[in-house]
Amino acid sequence: MLLRLVVFLILLFLIGPVVIIVLFSFHESQSLSFPFTGFSLRWYSELLSNDQLLGAIWFSFKVALLTSIITMVIGTAASLAWLRLERRGRTILELACIIPIALPALFLGVSLLVGFSQARIQLSIWTIVIAHTLLTVPMVMVAMRARLALFDPALEEAARDLGASTIGTFRRVTIPLMAPTLVATGILAFALSFDEFIVTSFVSGTETTLPMFIWSMMRRTVTPVINAVSGLALAITVGLLVVAWLIAVRRRSTANALANTDLD
Amino acid sequence: MQQRPLLVTILASPAVGYMLAFFFVPAGFLLVYSFWTVSGFRIQPDLSLDNYISSVTSPLFLSVTWNALLIGVVTATICVVLAVPVCYYLVYVAKSKMIFYAILLTWFSSYLVRIYAWRTLLGTNGLLNTLLIQAGIVDAPIDALLFSRFAVIIALTQIYLPFCILLVMSSFSEIKPDLIAASRDLGTSASGAFFKVIAPNAVNGLIGAFMLTFLLVAGDYVTPQMLGGTTGQTTGLLIADYFRKSGNWPLGAAQAFIMFAMSAGVYVVLVTTLRATGLAPKKLRNRAS
Repeated sequence: MLLRLVVFLILLFLIGPVVIIVLFSFHESQSLSFPFTGFSLRWYSELLSNDQLLGAIWFSFKVALLTSIITMVIGTAASLAWLRLERRGRTILELACIIPIALPALFLGVSLLVGFSQARIQLSIWTIVIAHTLLTVPMVMVAMRARLALFDPALEEAARDLGASTIGTFRRVTIPLMAPTLVATGILAFALSFDEFIVTSFVSGTETTLPMFIWSMMRRTVTPVINAVSGLALAITVGLLVVAWLIAVRRRSTANALANTDLD
Repeated sequence: MQQRPLLVTILASPAVGYMLAFFFVPAGFLLVYSFWTVSGFRIQPDLSLDNYISSVTSPLFLSVTWNALLIGVVTATICVVLAVPVCYYLVYVAKSKMIFYAILLTWFSSYLVRIYAWRTLLGTNGLLNTLLIQAGIVDAPIDALLFSRFAVIIALTQIYLPFCILLVMSSFSEIKPDLIAASRDLGTSASGAFFKVIAPNAVNGLIGAFMLTFLLVAGDYVTPQMLGGTTGQTTGLLIADYFRKSGNWPLGAAQAFIMFAMSAGVYVVLVTTLRATGLAPKKLRNRAS
């Protein structure tokens, strides 16, 4: 019981602050503390009339979409290679791909800034996408590794023994088995990119992403409009995560069913 | 499946090439830069240790680095201590995965939003002060809640705890429940099973979780900047300013590598102490299984 209470308190500590921020984004008055006097959507409507903010959201959306597409292509290829590698090759591939998330974002940000300047690459949307992909590929590798460890190579062999071509095996067996994890990690990459701030602040050109916009607001003042932006950003991330989770659960069961009926 | 090394090479090359081009090569440039010098606002290629020497002899650098290390060690310790009961519960007790999903969700909820949350909670007219006054515990708002090391550590703990929990959980999951059941059958109490079976087996995982959390926390300069007030300057902020404001990239690069070396130093000290006191197994892979 004591354990349960401790876990509950820690969970409250993790979630509480975020819940309070969202609660006060619906507050009718300027005040950010109790008593809570009433609900209102005025801070959200103020948001929606801010063109700069909408521009930042659209820009972040484009960055996140490009990041997740590139991440999925690189991540899928790397996962397929991982499946076919021996233990030592796997370790090397993992080390090369996972190191970047074990370093402070600051280190990655300044390295990239120096790298781009040496290569005379102008800072633009692409430098942001490159930076974000550097953070999302390791995450995909970690997620895929956990899933692929359960992958049974015998399924591929069986398909080939039964006469399927390499491409046929890939299309009918490998991809359906990997798809749920792939799509879920693609969405996670989108969410990660949508929220990234520190590395972005080093490699962005003239255009502003949503977190950078929130940052500039936060530095100036404390107003419920920031709560509303936060609520919006959270809603987008949470929505994406739920979609990713639903896809992972649904597709995994269909993939398993497929694998069972086809090959058992 | 080893008959097609060409296919494997083609599949692995985008990821490896990407990491080479955008991580290893830029990090190499950064290292080269740290030996260059700046004279008259121009960056000169050089092979000088000036940046390193002037950094480690600068009182400002030493004090902000001490600040970063202190915040990092305290926060990472709190995170690991809090992660242990949560992971124990999640791995061995909980039947549903809801709590795990809730924790994942907080890990992905916006970084800046969480910093902002603590700012509004701990501010002079913030929620915590208002509640304390209404409850009659204090008469006047406590200003020191915000813009202090306390504020920085509490916020960093909330931000990095989910990540730490995920790391500790993976090390707990590797311990077979059979081992615990066996020790209980042999008459060990629940807490005895934890200290005699789980802790020794998980200790390397816990060290790993501590180190990764420490690295990320000590390198986080945005949270201390927003919530730390005068105590908020850390090495990270100093480095970021060299790159964004003063343009002295070589000095910033040198300090980034010093910070890196110091983190490695913390790891060595930690592992040596734990081994010397017998708390950690001598060999890295010494699992009873």
